[in-house]
Amino acid sequence: MSDSESKPNKNSRANVVLFALMVSVVCSLMITAAATGLRQRQQENIALDRKVNLLRAAGMVPSGEKPLAEEIKNLFDTRIREKTVNNQGDLVGPGTDQGMRIYLITSAEVPDQVDGYILPINTRGLWGKIHGYLAFENDGQTVAGFSVYSHAETPGLGGEIESAWFQKNFKGKKIINSQGQFVSIRIAKGEVENLPKDKRPNHVDGISGATLTGQYLSEGIENTLEKYESVSVSFRQRGGKDVNPNKKSHKDTDGETH
Amino acid sequence: MKPISEYKEILTKGIWTENPVAYQVLGICSALAVTVKMSTAIVMALALTMVTAFSSMIISMMRKRIPSNIRIIVELAVIASLVIVTDQILRAFLYDISKQLSIFVGLIITNCIVLGRAEAFALANPPVDSFVDGLANGLGYGLILVLVAFFRELLGSGKFFGFSVIPQFVYDLGFQDMGLMVLAPGAFFIIGLLVWLKNALPGVSHEKR
Repeated sequence: MSDSESKPNKNSRANVVLFALMVSVVCSLMITAAATGLRQRQQENIALDRKVNLLRAAGMVPSGEKPLAEEIKNLFDTRIREKTVNNQGDLVGPGTDQGMRIYLITSAEVPDQVDGYILPINTRGLWGKIHGYLAFENDGQTVAGFSVYSHAETPGLGGEIESAWFQKNFKGKKIINSQGQFVSIRIAKGEVENLPKDKRPNHVDGISGATLTGQYLSEGIENTLEKYESVSVSFRQRGGKDVNPNKKSHKDTDGETH
Repeated sequence: MKPISEYKEILTKGIWTENPVAYQVLGICSALAVTVKMSTAIVMALALTMVTAFSSMIISMMRKRIPSNIRIIVELAVIASLVIVTDQILRAFLYDISKQLSIFVGLIITNCIVLGRAEAFALANPPVDSFVDGLANGLGYGLILVLVAFFRELLGSGKFFGFSVIPQFVYDLGFQDMGLMVLAPGAFFIIGLLVWLKNALPGVSHEKR
């Protein structure tokens, strides 16, 4: 900028280019500094937010509330076991990044008793990826909860998938029909009450103005559930007995009827 | 240094007499979007105030050097960078609120108030004045946002800063939360009423000036 002392020079082509260049460099330095300097904190926040949403899906954290970071970590470490589903449909310990992730919910009273499980939902939405969690009770068919931790849907329309009123409708829904066949769970067009009675347990209320978001989410949930169906079936058949998190088989895990 | 009274004048002009929302009718989009709750409104107001104040100051510092044919681009580059930095800071320190504000922090870039102050004030005034002017306009925007959010949160969900303040017996008597207030049209009505109120107050009417 030092060579632009004389005013008429201000608009010369060389000066315009120089000025633009300097502004760009300074601005980009500023942004880079902020982004890299704060990255670690941001990632901690994101990781914590995912944990809260996982616990929220499992019903351990009421929607709308956010406990302290310590509490969240504590709950997560004591009650949630991270597992991977291998090709045979067995649950193996953490550490393998291959295969499909699953989170087992252990009981608060009886250690190692599996109360349910949580599946990660990663699907496309209308404007970007939707990431969330779908929790099940240990009968392998009843939804315990649903939560979304990241999405790019339109605020007020598709963005409502992260709101409590939408998510609480998942609780108690079934992924099998009355004949026991797998039908997944779908987001209805409009209200569930307008559907035939036999379909209501497999649908949740839709969001008006967000038909496409609902469709993509329904598809995503169905695809995920299909992949994990072998796990769900084993829960359905044995009520969670065989999926003891520590592989100490068959011990006091018959509590599926609560 | 200028006398304090001059800064005071800039401040009252930005915050009240020429309030960006109620007088200039700028920044309405975000005023509708983030005023469902007090907490989001306040954070948004602070974010915008910071961006307007610093962008006005920086642009004013460069005002004699900016080539006139790339003026707007330079202004936008400065504003956009400040917005991104603000967004990064919110993500690091106020993650939940930043998530609720979603795209609206990023959209400060397109908020007419910021570019408006840069064009209308910062290009013709020294840095300190411009900083005060940006601050005043941000606070003026914030004032309306907080007022709107107060009524929307209170009437729409019966809360104040997330705490329920309407006692149960009022609900028992048949009072219901106004669903309209949670939606964007509710904000329209309140902003409209505020503009009317501002003009109805003695001494601030547009017509008299």
